[in-house]
Amino acid sequence: MDQDELRQLMTAYQAGSLHAFERLYAALAPAMLGYLSTLCGDRGQAQDLLQDTFLQIHRSRRTYRSDLPVRPWVFAIARHVWLMDRRTRARRPWTDRDVPELPVPAEVEGLAERDRLHRALSALLPDRREALLLHHVWGFSFAEIGQLLGIRADAAKLRSSRAMGDLRKLLNA
Amino acid sequence: MPDHEIALPPELRAAISRDLRPVAPLAPPVARTLALLPLALLLLGAAVFVFGLRRDAPILGMKLTWMSSALQMILGLVLAGAALRESVPGTTLSRRVIGLAFSTATIGVLTVTWMTWAASPTTILPDRFAFVWRVCVFGTVVSALPPLALSGWLVARAFPLRPRIAGALYGIGAGLMADAGWRLFCHFSDPVHVIGAHVLGVAICGIIGVLVAMTSSRQSAVSSRQSTV
Repeated sequence: MDQDELRQLMTAYQAGSLHAFERLYAALAPAMLGYLSTLCGDRGQAQDLLQDTFLQIHRSRRTYRSDLPVRPWVFAIARHVWLMDRRTRARRPWTDRDVPELPVPAEVEGLAERDRLHRALSALLPDRREALLLHHVWGFSFAEIGQLLGIRADAAKLRSSRAMGDLRKLLNA
Repeated sequence: MPDHEIALPPELRAAISRDLRPVAPLAPPVARTLALLPLALLLLGAAVFVFGLRRDAPILGMKLTWMSSALQMILGLVLAGAALRESVPGTTLSRRVIGLAFSTATIGVLTVTWMTWAASPTTILPDRFAFVWRVCVFGTVVSALPPLALSGWLVARAFPLRPRIAGALYGIGAGLMADAGWRLFCHFSDPVHVIGAHVLGVAICGIIGVLVAMTSSRQSAVSSRQSTV
């Protein structure tokens, strides 16, 4: 679904259309679930966070303006929901036994088998991995990533390219 | 990555449909910042109207009285506008922009202080120092409360993901707007007084902004947890 269609759905949702909400959910939920899984490292927890995110989107729907792209707005809310949840839980380090189901960028998909790719991805620094996946998997521009994470566009680009370099090194090791 | 379809949970659908009233989208940050303009202009003239224009105004001229205060008021509005932008998800400001906003405001205030001191050096008698200090700190903070409350309300209507930053921005912005008027009355240009009292007043407003924004954000998080939607 393209940006204009998402904008129209969001505007219809603000006007009170349940059908628009359902279509937005169908369009955005898969990518958001992948993003939340990347952040929290647990698919089950990510599913709970996804529902919390949509409730928060509903509460904050008036803050969306039609001149803004929809995806950075919803991903920023998802990130906030995860941060709030993380505050209430003890931080649990990832181990070899619970490598999360991370999405794999198309650029590196052929470099190794899926299990090895997942382990390499989970070994990346979290902020670099986040920028890499936002750009290469979910198609955000670096300017949008910058606005989502509160960093400059060139810093987002640097994080993503460093993550890609680290990933290639890990896969070639 | 293949995006598999995820079914909408019936509980979520039911919760959303129960509360699906139409909402008006927020105006852009520039338009919301303009809501602060009448208050900022009122503050610019209020101290002069109540206490009179500073005694050294004829020496300072238009540039170092009204124009410098207008510049300070505009800096305050810019900071408040940045807070309003920061409070919309997905339009978060980068550290560089935030640093630039704060350093521009600091450089602006220090430049006006230095130019005013160079044009008309007025010091406070030692026995009056504490009294004048109290009046200027208190005056700046109290007169900043209306724009601080209004910008706090405008930010709280949005969804600030980093309330501390939003609060610091609008708190210091409100302080600058208030001090823009206060400096038109206070004729003591001694940098020790200006920085120790007026700038301190602005900094206190920044701290109040942070506390207000954090409290408001925490309250809205609590009320969100208590409601099903």
